[in-house]
Amino acid sequence: MNLSAKLRLSPGCRLHPTEPVLLIPEGTLQLSGPARDILFRLDGQRTIANVIDDLLAEYSGAEREAVERDVLDLLGRIQERGLIRSE
Amino acid sequence: MELASDNLSLPKPFSLIAEVTHRCPLHCLYCSNPLELKKSDAELTAEEWARVFQQAAQIGILHLHLTGGEPLARSDLPALIASGRDAGLYVNLITSGIGINEKLLSELVDAGLEHLQLSFQGEDENTANHIAGARAHALKVAIVPTIKKFPIALTLNLVINRMNIDRLESFIGMAADFAPDRLEIAHVQYYGWALKNRALLMPTMEQVEKSIAIVEAAKQRLKGKIHIDFVLPDYFGKYPKACVGGWGRQMMLIDPVGVALPCHAAAIIPDLTFTNIRDRDLDWIWNSSPAFNRFRGDSWISETCRACPRKAQDFGGCRCQAFQLTGNAESIDPVCVYSPDHATIEILRRPDAESLPIWRS
Repeated sequence: MNLSAKLRLSPGCRLHPTEPVLLIPEGTLQLSGPARDILFRLDGQRTIANVIDDLLAEYSGAEREAVERDVLDLLGRIQERGLIRSE
Repeated sequence: MELASDNLSLPKPFSLIAEVTHRCPLHCLYCSNPLELKKSDAELTAEEWARVFQQAAQIGILHLHLTGGEPLARSDLPALIASGRDAGLYVNLITSGIGINEKLLSELVDAGLEHLQLSFQGEDENTANHIAGARAHALKVAIVPTIKKFPIALTLNLVINRMNIDRLESFIGMAADFAPDRLEIAHVQYYGWALKNRALLMPTMEQVEKSIAIVEAAKQRLKGKIHIDFVLPDYFGKYPKACVGGWGRQMMLIDPVGVALPCHAAAIIPDLTFTNIRDRDLDWIWNSSPAFNRFRGDSWISETCRACPRKAQDFGGCRCQAFQLTGNAESIDPVCVYSPDHATIEILRRPDAESLPIWRS
């Protein structure tokens, strides 16, 4: 996965409207920290780099390098489980 | 463990299994429906289901599983899906696929369907049709590409038993070629119709061990492409399963005529009165009904289980299985090596080549 990838949630996966939970086939994924904010921004249009720009604007004071690492790590794990797709 | 009287610490239910009808074009030898099927003229109406779905969401349920029988036997299925989504639930349809076509599927998806589960009984047509008691296999195979056109998640359920286990590798290969999002490879669980056909369906220990290795290899091979969940037959384990995550802990099932149960099989336990959703709301049924509280906590549990550290994991095992095999719903699940009835399991594990199939009618 690289920073120019455009991702969206896989079919049959959606964020719960109010709880920090990703609803998936036969289960849920509890989302901690900024995970919900990250997944919320995956629309198949914006790149991962765009999403990171957004997050840096929202969470001022965070280091870009650390945020990049965290976002790629989270998305890598979720992609391995098949819950997000590249456009 | 929680005390049944302490409402503050009651578990929140997670899923609702809605058996919207017992009518079905299939007659699977392992069917999880009760031996006494409910008649269609007493089935809940779409309005009654809509009310149930609203109440389900209010008590914290997230997932709705529409199942049967065959849910497609109900012509108001799109309305059921729409009312599930209106209530805020995640809507899954568990179907044989018989009777689906592209037009109907687009109605179901427009109504809000998010996930579809299609079961397969085997890799080769003759075996699969024999297990299903119907000429269903070719129809199932033919409908998968149509389902794949729609923006929903697809799970294929491969139901494993002695008749198809020796071809498990090619069975998984067939299913993987359909490129579903998820594969559920589940050994038959021995309740109801499956227990009636136990001697015919039960694999040998050697076959079970081989199946574990085959599924592990498939998980590695398909990692990142298809997610695989595997369900072992509990008869071959040393310890019991936490059946449905524990009695009255994670799920509620409502049968076609509105009776609310803690699991598929619970109605077999005598001396329990299960409430109909026509008489009480789901909040009362989940939190206050005697039946849902009956095996919560550990006041009922055997001395052996009370002293066992595993009780927090398996809650003494499955109550229906305990009743089914020992005649006492409070006894230790005989799957457990510490059960005085464990020898029963060893006897029931023996396959019997002589037995004849009993299809649900």
